[in-house]
Order: sequence, then structure tokens, then C-alpha cells
Amino acid sequence: MLNNSLTLENISKRFASRPGSTSQLQVLDNIQLNIAPGEFISIVGASGCGKSTLLRLILGLDEEYDGRILLDGKPIDGTGLERGIVFQDHRLFPWLNVEQNVAVALKNSPLSAKEKRDTVREHIELVGLQDFIDAYPHQISGGMAQRVAIARGLVNRPSVLLLDEPLGALDALTRARLQGELQNIWAKEKITMILVTHDVDEAVFLGDRVVVMQPNPGRIRRILDIDLPRPRNRSDSRFIALRDDVLSDFAELH
Amino acid sequence: MARAQTVAPEQYVPALPKGNVQRLPPAPTRPVRKVEVPRTWAWSSQLGDRALPWLLPLAVLGLWFLGVEQGWLSEQVLPPPAYVYETLSDLFASGDLWINAAASLQRVVVGFALGASIGVVLGLAMGLSKTIEDYLLPTFNAIVQIPVLAWLPFALLLFGIGEPLKYVLIAKAALVPITLCTLQAFHQAPKGLLEAGRAYGFSRWQSVIFIVLPAAVPTLFTGLRLGFTKAWLSLVVVELVASSEGLGYLIVYGRQLFQLDLVMAAVVVVGGIGLLIDRGFDYAERRLNRGRTPAAGRLS
Repeated sequence: MLNNSLTLENISKRFASRPGSTSQLQVLDNIQLNIAPGEFISIVGASGCGKSTLLRLILGLDEEYDGRILLDGKPIDGTGLERGIVFQDHRLFPWLNVEQNVAVALKNSPLSAKEKRDTVREHIELVGLQDFIDAYPHQISGGMAQRVAIARGLVNRPSVLLLDEPLGALDALTRARLQGELQNIWAKEKITMILVTHDVDEAVFLGDRVVVMQPNPGRIRRILDIDLPRPRNRSDSRFIALRDDVLSDFAELH
Repeated sequence: MARAQTVAPEQYVPALPKGNVQRLPPAPTRPVRKVEVPRTWAWSSQLGDRALPWLLPLAVLGLWFLGVEQGWLSEQVLPPPAYVYETLSDLFASGDLWINAAASLQRVVVGFALGASIGVVLGLAMGLSKTIEDYLLPTFNAIVQIPVLAWLPFALLLFGIGEPLKYVLIAKAALVPITLCTLQAFHQAPKGLLEAGRAYGFSRWQSVIFIVLPAAVPTLFTGLRLGFTKAWLSLVVVELVASSEGLGYLIVYGRQLFQLDLVMAAVVVVGGIGLLIDRGFDYAERRLNRGRTPAAGRLS
């Protein structure tokens, strides 16, 4: 039985501050985090705290770091279909329609052609875009494009879905609606989700735990348990208290 | 002041559906808003836009008529438009026009096909392998600077005066922009999409076939179009120097007999055919790009 827990052990990451330069910039310093299967983790922090870099390491796009990333007890090796991703800019292929864009993620999947077709349809229905299967990215709104990206991130049935500020570029109303949808999808799929965001409200609304990061060098400041029943109510006094608690970290930092 | 605090929670609308929703409702469509333009104004401005490209050619033609009428240049140097038209009709009626145009078209098609295939292969090779690019590109860039005419004496000795000479020089002209545009397509490959591809375990070949090449279609097409223009231009140059038929030959022949009407008629045909082919490429390009351009800006 796979338990799909994700463990980050002593993750550190340096960049050369300029190409060819010997002086180095510490982007991540000794990150330790155990993520339980099916947990929703929100990572918040000001820009430059290394939160997106951390997500790239977990995805396997960048393999130059110190420390270990273990999925189900085994170190990760490059990218893998068991880890899905939704980027901030939806990164849909402009020459493919919605259905084809979701199917792109299945190019290296072991499923049969029919199984692929079925699972693509299911995931497009999951994000409510069944009427837009033939539409091209430029024909749909930013919010819809991001839903397609979410469907594409989920279509391989990953055990971990990484969300890199997926709603950051959307207007407030669309963002609030998609936060609700994301929480429903998470409840339905029962997979681990790691959300990187700079929106504290969003982090508290969605996360089982909120990891607050701080820059120079990028490290974990503290981890908060959000022990509130779902779906969460933003006007609930406990919600507001938790949100203000996280926000106070930012106030101190500046 | 914390940046996150500037987001007022009040501006969110509670949007959670009650209960555990299995299927989400279809996303709302956004109505396309049309700007109403008064009809008469739209009509006249549309007419103005259509007429605009014709103003300059018509003005030049008018100047030509005027120049001949006023005797600014002698008739031997600048034949009247009517005379050129007459020569053109004669060429058309006698079949000479078709014979020469066909000879030219055949050369340009063969040379262009040759140059385009080599150019695409060269560009692909350099795009796929940094080593090949490092070996070839500097030399290529140096050779590119040498015009077709400068190659001619050497090429004449090498290929003789027959058709292969024309094919090679036309191919060379077409090859340059096509190679460079193909290579550019690789350099411009959308990084964000390549990363997305890596997340789905794309191999190098899958990245090239499913991301680099589809994203490159507009750039490749620009290369082909530029290549054809270059091929058409050098065709005339090559025919001017060494040929016994073709549109370029008509120009030389006319010059030697001091029949400027023939020269003018051939020039009009060269320009006309070139323009027609360019319009054809333009049309095909717009069809290919339909629906792609608006999204292109979102690529990173």
C-alpha cells in the first residue's frame, strides 16, 4: 500500500548571484517539512522567499540542490507523472483546443487510447468545461484557462498536485470562485495538494496547514495548523483570527 | 506595511457551493462586446482603407503619363504607358510571355525547393545541436554576406552556363532566410511550454515535435516567404547575366535592342508575378495563424 507521503529533508539551494560569479545567493536554507498523504499545504511568503523555487524542486524541474525529497519514502528523480503541476500563467498550448490541451499531459501515460479519451472527458467535466471542449485558449477567459490547466494537472491522477500561484493572475471574484472549486476538487480526489501563494486569505481558506516562509535566505518561519471545518467561512471569527495571525508575521518582517 | 494586507477580505464574494458538489456547473461565457460605429462613417472609412494602397501606384502612373506628354524624357528612354501595354499584349498573344514566364517559374520553383529543403535541414540541425550550431553558424553568417552576383564568376566555371547554375544560385538565395528562421524558431521555443512538457515526462523528441515545431510554424512560414522573395529577386539577376529565355532575359534583350517598352513590359510581369505569389503566401500565412496570434503573447 502506497502512502504517498512527501518528505523534504534539509533542502538548501544556492544560485550564483551572477552567471560565472563565485558569490552565491542562498535561496533556500534547510527546509524541513513532512506532508501527510491527502494533506492540503499552503505556502505563503513575500516574493523572493524561495517558495516557487521550492515547488520547482518538488516537481523535479531543478535537480541542483542539497538535501533530499522523498515521495513515499523514495527520493524523486526528475519529473514524474505522479506529481502534477498548475502554473500561474496557465501554459496552455495555443494551437490545441481544451480537450487536446488536457490530453497533452497523457502523452507518456500507460493508458489505452480509449482510457485516455475517457479520463480527459471526466477531468474536463470535473472543472465544468464540458461545453468548451473544442474551444482554443484564446477563446476562453483567464479563469477558464486556469481551470483547463487544473484539469491537465489532475488528468494523470497524480498523488501530489503542485499549485504555483495558480489564481494569482485572476480578478478577485473569479479567484474566490476557483478557490471554492479547488477545495471541492481536493475533497473529491483526496490527493495531496501544495499551494504556493502570496495571498494569506487564500492560504488560510484552503490549507490544512499554512507554512509561512521568509526571505534572505528563504526559510520556514513557522507552520500553523488551520483546524477549521470545511467548507470554511471567511466571516467566521476563528478564520479571521488565524488570518490576522499569519498577516502579523508579514507586518513584522517589513 | 505587509503587502498581503492590502487585499481586503470584504471584496471576496462567498462562492462556496453548499454540500459536496460532484460536477461543477459549466463556466459562464463572456459576451463579445461590439462597438457600434455609425454606418455611413464605417462605410466611408472602409472605402478609404481599401483605396489607400492604390494611391501611390496611381500617382506614379499619372506621373508617367504626364512625363511622356510633357516630353520630360525622350520616348526611347521612357516609352508611353500605352505603348508598353501594346507590347505586353503582343507578348501575350504571341505566346512569348508564357514561354519566358514558364522558364522563369520553373527555375524559381526548382531552386526554391532545393534551397528550402537544405535550409530547413540546416536550421533543424543547428537548432537541435548546439555543437553543430557552433561549428556552422559563424561560417554561414560570413557566406551570407556575399551577394549572388559575387558568386557568379566562380559558379559559372563550376556549373557552366546551363540550368544547374540558376538552380544553385536561386537555391542559395532562398536558403539563407529559411535556415536562419528555422534556427530562430528553436531559439524562440516557448520556455514555459517546454517546462510544462518536462512535467509530463516529454522526451527531447516529444518536445521538438509537440512544442518547438508547432510553436515555430509562424516563424518557419516567415522564413519560407522571405526565402521565396529572395529567390525571385536573384532569378532575375541570374537570368540577366546568363540565359536565353526567361523574364530576366527579356529585360536584357530589350535593353540590347534599345526596346525600353519590352524592358518595361517584362518589369511589370516580374513585379506582377512576384506580388501574386507574395499575396498567396500572405493568405496562407493568415489562414495558418488564424486564432494563434492572440494567445502568443501569453507564452513565456
